[in-house]
Amino acid sequence: MASEEAHVHHWEWSYYPLILVAGIFFAVPLGFAAFFVYGSGLMSALFIGLGVPLIIWGCAGWAGEGIANAENETGWALTGLPIFIVSEVLIFLSLFVSYWMLRLTAPEWPPPGSPEIGLGIPIFMTILLVSSSFTYHIGEERLEEGDKAGFIKWLYITIGLGALFLLMTGVEYTHLLGEGFGFSANAKSTAFYSITGFHASHVLVGLGIFLFVLFPALSGKISHVFVTGAGIYWHFVDIVWFFVISQIYIW
Amino acid sequence: MKEWIFTTDHKRIGILYLVGSIAAFAVAGIMALLIRVELSSLGPTLVEDASQYNVWLYFHGAAMILAFLIPGLTGFVANYCIPLMIGAHDVAFPRINAFSVWLFWFAIVLALLTFVIPDPPDVLWTGYPPYSVQTDGNTAFYVFTVHLLGFSSILGAVNFLCTVIYMRAPGMGWNQLNVFVWTTLGAFVIQLVMIPVLASAVTLLLFDKYLGTTFFNPENGGDVLLYQNLFWFYSHPAVYVILLPAVGIILEVLATFARNPVFNYKVTVYGGIWGTVLLGSDVWAHHLYTSGMVDWLRIGMMVTTLLISLPVGLLTISLVGTLYKGSISFKTPMVYATSTLFLILLGGLTGIPLAMTSLTVHLAETYFVMAHFHYIMGITATFAVFAGVYYWFPLMTGKMYNETYSQIGFWLNFIGVNLTFWPLFGIGIDGMPRRYFDYQMYPEFESTQMLSTVGAFIVAAGMAITILTWIHGAILGEKAKPNPWGSKSMEWTHCEYPPGPGNFPTPPEVTAEWSPYNYGKHTAQSL
Repeated sequence: MASEEAHVHHWEWSYYPLILVAGIFFAVPLGFAAFFVYGSGLMSALFIGLGVPLIIWGCAGWAGEGIANAENETGWALTGLPIFIVSEVLIFLSLFVSYWMLRLTAPEWPPPGSPEIGLGIPIFMTILLVSSSFTYHIGEERLEEGDKAGFIKWLYITIGLGALFLLMTGVEYTHLLGEGFGFSANAKSTAFYSITGFHASHVLVGLGIFLFVLFPALSGKISHVFVTGAGIYWHFVDIVWFFVISQIYIW
Repeated sequence: MKEWIFTTDHKRIGILYLVGSIAAFAVAGIMALLIRVELSSLGPTLVEDASQYNVWLYFHGAAMILAFLIPGLTGFVANYCIPLMIGAHDVAFPRINAFSVWLFWFAIVLALLTFVIPDPPDVLWTGYPPYSVQTDGNTAFYVFTVHLLGFSSILGAVNFLCTVIYMRAPGMGWNQLNVFVWTTLGAFVIQLVMIPVLASAVTLLLFDKYLGTTFFNPENGGDVLLYQNLFWFYSHPAVYVILLPAVGIILEVLATFARNPVFNYKVTVYGGIWGTVLLGSDVWAHHLYTSGMVDWLRIGMMVTTLLISLPVGLLTISLVGTLYKGSISFKTPMVYATSTLFLILLGGLTGIPLAMTSLTVHLAETYFVMAHFHYIMGITATFAVFAGVYYWFPLMTGKMYNETYSQIGFWLNFIGVNLTFWPLFGIGIDGMPRRYFDYQMYPEFESTQMLSTVGAFIVAAGMAITILTWIHGAILGEKAKPNPWGSKSMEWTHCEYPPGPGNFPTPPEVTAEWSPYNYGKHTAQSL
């Protein structure tokens, strides 16, 4: 931190944190409760329709302020992000512990009525996700060499692989739901959909982060801290997948 | 206005936390009064319907713990004081800090919606299944309140860990930090690691109730005790999230008003604080002694629960030792701080029988438990927050509060809380079960319940006077002298009153001899 920066003479402020919180508030608690608790699809759609644009506005404005300030970056975020990931690890761990507790105390496993879950799709998904970590890494190397166009090209490929991963999750879910293996079928479906769904939601968040790297990059603005941070998060999501496939599919 | 609502300055965010948490405290306090009035006589007193009583219990517990104590300590005091104590111009991520405070405010809004929506949440603050899954009440709002507050705390933890790692004034070593900074770091490590587990637990509750999964449904391969384990894995350490910063504030106040360095600094920090953090994660199952568990696990948890007396004992030794041979003056912050020694003693000692499995079989789910945790967690931490508000009042506002009325408020609070909770230990041992709306079968406890209700109203009067002294002081108070308490800590010695943008007119630097407790006696380093 440059020492002349250290002394600030005015009160600092930003619109975007409050906008983002307001968006989350409308879209998630109110949107969910309107539909699931009070059975009003219209109210739910209104809340989500109000909340999601606020979330996008908040994130975009926030990222814009961050990019505009990119030359003063401290790099502290690259310490903060791994600290944050510790809490993500604990979320996944408590889901896995719940799964182990249900599975190890069950009289028989899989519980009667569970369909066979094939390994073909998950192995294909593994290949997709692992290669996406490598393609992002290649992009980062291009960026270090100063090749912004190359970075953007590899970023497109990474996003494509991630999106294909989510598509495959959708294909698999459709297939299993078609066999009557719904959320409430038994303890196995409970654990299966919760853990794979929670992981898929992280892939979705990772893709969202990539979009906030991509759009400024298209107009030539690149924050190195943001690029590295997005990569750390993506590799984390990749690593968690190995636990998902080994515990849910293979075991 | 714009510079307040959209502020990213840690001091203003701290004050936003204070206002929000005091608002939550006031509403949750009114719930407590309604509960006490309901219990003051046998049979239905205020309402005919126990589900209304459940809503009060829900709001009182959830708001006091999640929306007053935790944000008051790790939100308000940490935000306001930590950057000033370490000589930083702000926190590491100011916009994330603003994001945290607004998550907290919207969580309070969500909790307050309890009073206007049909079918409000009625699941206490614990949300145990199967009731929380089967009730008509809106369990979703309970879950999302926990989510918003949890997300806020996790981001706060990331922010303050980075702040203390990177933004200490040049020359400031780890053993020169204020004890309050250490206690808050300990609390934030617990928040970071444990809150995700609570968030998972309530999320699974949401899935079970609204999406039809079967985590907690034994009819379809689920397990009710799974929830209790996940819940208490966070919610027992949450006690230390509250206790540690409370002890930190009390130590700051004791050191300043006794003109002494914090006693046994290194042992307090590395043994007391970090010992509590480490052991705190290994005791959760003592909340499940009577819910059903194997005997060997019960004994193991009894041992770890008793072991945690050791680091907490170190903290207590430090509290008392800091007073030893001090030149003490009893201003309002100091009377609050010293009174907590009594409250910690009573609350701590009544915890030991509860750790014993044999005694818990009798005492579980009685008023004894309720009185115990109100002393150690509720009252001690509330008094610590009040000590902190009075202590930093001249710094925050540049003005002084009225000493006489503040002292009157203190004595009403102190007498009131003891009148409210002390008798409850007795009827708890005699078998008065907690959470009962109507206690027809125990008519012998009616007079004690009435006494407790009288105490609660004395507290209400004291709290009203206390909050009025703050409002009056902030608007009409006399101008405060610089450093009115004569503290050596950086927030008093290097700042303007009140501190402006960027905190320090010139960025502070410290030498190896500098200590926040350098009162001309042995310093923290020499111990």
